Amino acid sequence: MTITNVTSEVIGSVWKVEMNVGDAVKAGDTIMILESMKMEIPVEAPVDGKLAEFMVQPEDSIDEDQVLCTIES
Amino acid sequence: MHDRELKSESDEDSKKSAETPINEELYFRRVSALEMGGKEAVERQHSNGRLTVRERFKELTDSESFREVGTLGGSGEYDENNKLVKVTPAPYVAGMARINGRTVAIGGEDFTVRGGTTFGAARRKGGQGGFIEDLAHYYKIPLVNLIDGAGGTVTSAKRRGYVAFPGVHGFERSVQLLGEVPVVSAVLGTAAGGPAGRAILSHFSVMVRGTSQIFAAGPPVVKRSLGRDIDKEELGGAATAVDKAGTIHNAADTEEEALDQIRRFLSYMPQNVWELPPVIPCDDPVDRCETALRDIVPEKRTQPYSMHDLIELVVDKDSSFEIQPTNGKSVITTLARLDGRVVGIVANNPKFYSGAMDASSAHKQIRFMELCDTFHIPLVFLVDVPGFMVGLKAEQEATLREGMRAVYVAGQLTVPTLTLVIRKCYGMAGMATCNKNDIDLKLSWPSGEWGSLPVEGGVAAAFRRDIANSDDPKAREKELEAELRAYASPFRTAEAFAVEEIIDPSETRPILCEYIALAESRLRANLGPKRKAGVSP
Repeated sequence: MTITNVTSEVIGSVWKVEMNVGDAVKAGDTIMILESMKMEIPVEAPVDGKLAEFMVQPEDSIDEDQVLCTIES
Repeated sequence: MHDRELKSESDEDSKKSAETPINEELYFRRVSALEMGGKEAVERQHSNGRLTVRERFKELTDSESFREVGTLGGSGEYDENNKLVKVTPAPYVAGMARINGRTVAIGGEDFTVRGGTTFGAARRKGGQGGFIEDLAHYYKIPLVNLIDGAGGTVTSAKRRGYVAFPGVHGFERSVQLLGEVPVVSAVLGTAAGGPAGRAILSHFSVMVRGTSQIFAAGPPVVKRSLGRDIDKEELGGAATAVDKAGTIHNAADTEEEALDQIRRFLSYMPQNVWELPPVIPCDDPVDRCETALRDIVPEKRTQPYSMHDLIELVVDKDSSFEIQPTNGKSVITTLARLDGRVVGIVANNPKFYSGAMDASSAHKQIRFMELCDTFHIPLVFLVDVPGFMVGLKAEQEATLREGMRAVYVAGQLTVPTLTLVIRKCYGMAGMATCNKNDIDLKLSWPSGEWGSLPVEGGVAAAFRRDIANSDDPKAREKELEAELRAYASPFRTAEAFAVEEIIDPSETRPILCEYIALAESRLRANLGPKRKAGVSP
């Protein structure tokens, strides 16, 4: 079993979370949507697996490279 | 050539020559050259996941096109009767060859001989200031560096009896070449020192993920200078040098792919700045109208879309080659073709910082604009830029200065530029997408919007008192926004001939093809090296 960190490529805030812990994800699925520079930026799963943990929630400020959630696969 | 040499010497006609060569010594010396650092050293190179320099040449260049220069360079060992016993070849292989039918000067360190470290007579063969750079300069042909060495060693001082002043056999020629002929470098091992310097003094550079590294100084120097332990992959692997820093333009997964990228890059380049880039026959119809382009920009202004998809729908099929795809990601810089003619595409990427220009994307755009300007490649800007990136980090990185440098360089371009606004074009970052000193030809899709700054945010600043004094500040802000937005219609700007044409997105390809064909006479009239400009900000 490997844990993959899902990180933010941009600085901004969390707008909405589209999935829950335990949900199965496929690479490319949208996990959450960030707001950055007045734009909605989808965060896509980098790998197939299961959502293990969320480190952020809506309205949280986030930095570039910050870990948003983890995927177990 | 070596294959051919050996083959030709074992051909029916000359079978005897292999057994009783015409000149035994020449044959012996040639064979020694082909053996490089010996069987064990070659095996070690392979087990490190790397090809030898001669295998790389073979992989990169047109079949049997390599003509070696300096095959016999090296150090001979002689017995007491002055009879040759052994030759260690110089750790640098060079010559001319053809890539896609066009002649290039090519050279590379042979890591199997002393780790590619050259000195003495061998040093005159290649590297900065070496014969191979002179060949590219005097014959006006592209230079290909296959880099696999770490440059000088402190042991040179002992051998020489004194320490050399930096700049003896320096980078003068490497610098000069950047304004004359395409220079491309592949970093195929661990590069530091001079070889690393040459990789940077290139128009295009590529390295291999996992097997190549590049740095100003390697782990032992870091340990000694800063007391930090760090491994060479973390310090100078592609994740650092390509993705994070932009020290090297592109990364490849294998050596073969890296060499393929070199072939690809050169296919867009002229042989030198006195020629135009090659035009190739195009079987993608010029009048191909893509209705998919009408729906590519989402109605909701806050939703991004794929600028990469947009580019692919417009340019000749399979003609695009992205430079620096993993660094400065808020702008996309791509070489491509329109009706077979080479163009440079600069496109903002709404998926990253909304396409806002930060310091790294400014660097990337500047380098790309200078590349295209130097080699007479017209530029097409596909614009969706909300402005410069904002925030503390952006200010600490000097985004304003780097962004204004992009404006400065755009304003000095001498190649034709065509600006097509896809969605946003705001502020000074918007100015870096056109050349106001030129004809300043601007087209737009109906989704285009522009101004000094976007209405939202701008209203809050300009009407602060008006909004604060209102009974319902939120509603007043919305009202003011709606009022100003009415003026933001691109059609009003077109009425005033302040944008030259608004086009149906589906017509983008035919229209761009026409403008790029139009550019040819102008490009032809401006061949030669570029004048050096003043002080960039």
